[in-house]
Amino acid sequence: MVLPQTAVLRTEITAYLAPNIRKLFCGVEDRLLSHLEEIRLRCNQPLVLRVGDKEYSIDRHGRVVTDLKQGYLVSREDLYRSIASISDNSLYAFEEEIRRGFITIPGGHRVGLAGQVVVSGQEVKTMKDFSGLCFRVAREVPDCALGLISQVAPRGTPVSSLIISPPRCGKTTMLRDLARLLSDGSGSVPPHNVVVVDERSEIAGCYQGIPQLNVGMRTDVLDACPKALGMMMAIRSLSPQIIITDEIGRREDVEAIGECLHAGITVIASIHARNVEELRGRPLIRKLLDEGAFQRGIVLTRQPRPGRIQEIIRWDESCCG
Amino acid sequence: MLWLKTMGICLTIAGFGMWGLGGARRFSRRVTQLRDLRLAMGFLEKEIIFMHTPLTRALERTARFAHPPVSQLFWAASRHLQSKAGVTAQEAWQIGINKLAQTSDLGKKDLALLEVVAPQLGMSDADQQGKFVRLIQEELKLLEDQAAQEVEAGQKIWSYGGFILGAVVVLLLL
Repeated sequence: MVLPQTAVLRTEITAYLAPNIRKLFCGVEDRLLSHLEEIRLRCNQPLVLRVGDKEYSIDRHGRVVTDLKQGYLVSREDLYRSIASISDNSLYAFEEEIRRGFITIPGGHRVGLAGQVVVSGQEVKTMKDFSGLCFRVAREVPDCALGLISQVAPRGTPVSSLIISPPRCGKTTMLRDLARLLSDGSGSVPPHNVVVVDERSEIAGCYQGIPQLNVGMRTDVLDACPKALGMMMAIRSLSPQIIITDEIGRREDVEAIGECLHAGITVIASIHARNVEELRGRPLIRKLLDEGAFQRGIVLTRQPRPGRIQEIIRWDESCCG
Repeated sequence: MLWLKTMGICLTIAGFGMWGLGGARRFSRRVTQLRDLRLAMGFLEKEIIFMHTPLTRALERTARFAHPPVSQLFWAASRHLQSKAGVTAQEAWQIGINKLAQTSDLGKKDLALLEVVAPQLGMSDADQQGKFVRLIQEELKLLEDQAAQEVEAGQKIWSYGGFILGAVVVLLLL
């Protein structure tokens, strides 16, 4: 039986690959595709499929191989055709996305770009002579945050929370599902007005401004908006009860979170760190934690699978007690 | 029999004359088509630079703006890009040129200039696209001026030439 997600993947992602590569995917088993996380195209290098911690390739005959050296070699033309397809042959219409290093395609999947970066002053002007593409599959895991909701919203009232983990442990997937659950309401948690400040278009996976992934019916998304700026805009104009944002860390993010908390808004954010000790090693975040900005810390791990809760820290209780 | 001969002579000269006049009209039509093409490229430039319209839609809008047969170029290119069959802008544009070559009075030199556009179309930032399309418009203007200068001489040669050729054929047959 073809899994619905696999069918979506075949139509949504492979449609943007160069015809030569697209043909190779016809023979790939649905079982492999259903867990696919990344497709990597690098000029004159084998095509790479990443599934969990394993890497596969596809040979010229469409067979999946574990020895990457036997894989199909991606040519410059394959890259050119893929880029042309992703951008609808209109790189000029994606200047901002190219400056940020990725283009979002329908379905909320992100295509990371590698190539020669043209810099003007301190700013990236554009990118040219593309040498690599990384298709990252956006995958919703409905109800993955269900076990977390009682921690993030004890007695039905959401508290400011920080999701902590290294990359690829499911922070964004968890934030997305939390946005949906808090927005729609779940069990004893009533519905809330949620604003997602999605600087990297990963949480809601917006394509042409429309969320491609379910973030709830009472959620507004500020797509591609710098976090600090987005939080201030949301306070002024969208009357949120909860603001959700990804990968905080800069000084302006910390200041904006302070503003949100003083305005009575709950902030749920994620941050890169392996554990709380590592987090406390960052002066800006340590200050924020010492000020009691967050009541809950949720540490995620990839073992045995992404999104596994390793530890829950109750900062409000440790302060009081 | 004399009336039959006279009629044959008249028809032969008239036939060649009409052919010559048709050839003469091609000169003025080429000028018009080069001007239409230049204006259409100007429209496409605006769509790209100011509206940032994706190429498929920009070509479609330009096709609506342009007059036939120039609009055929943009229709054909837009339709092939819409098919999403892995066709690049370069290939779609080339298909459009082939269509234009069949239906217009443009010469090899004019079509060669359009072929220069193919590899550049869509695949750079708006600034670069703007510079390139403006350059093509300037080149088209030069071709248009040159074509306008050729109209008078060309029209005379073809229109008189047709009748003269008809008369020569008649003399040879008599």
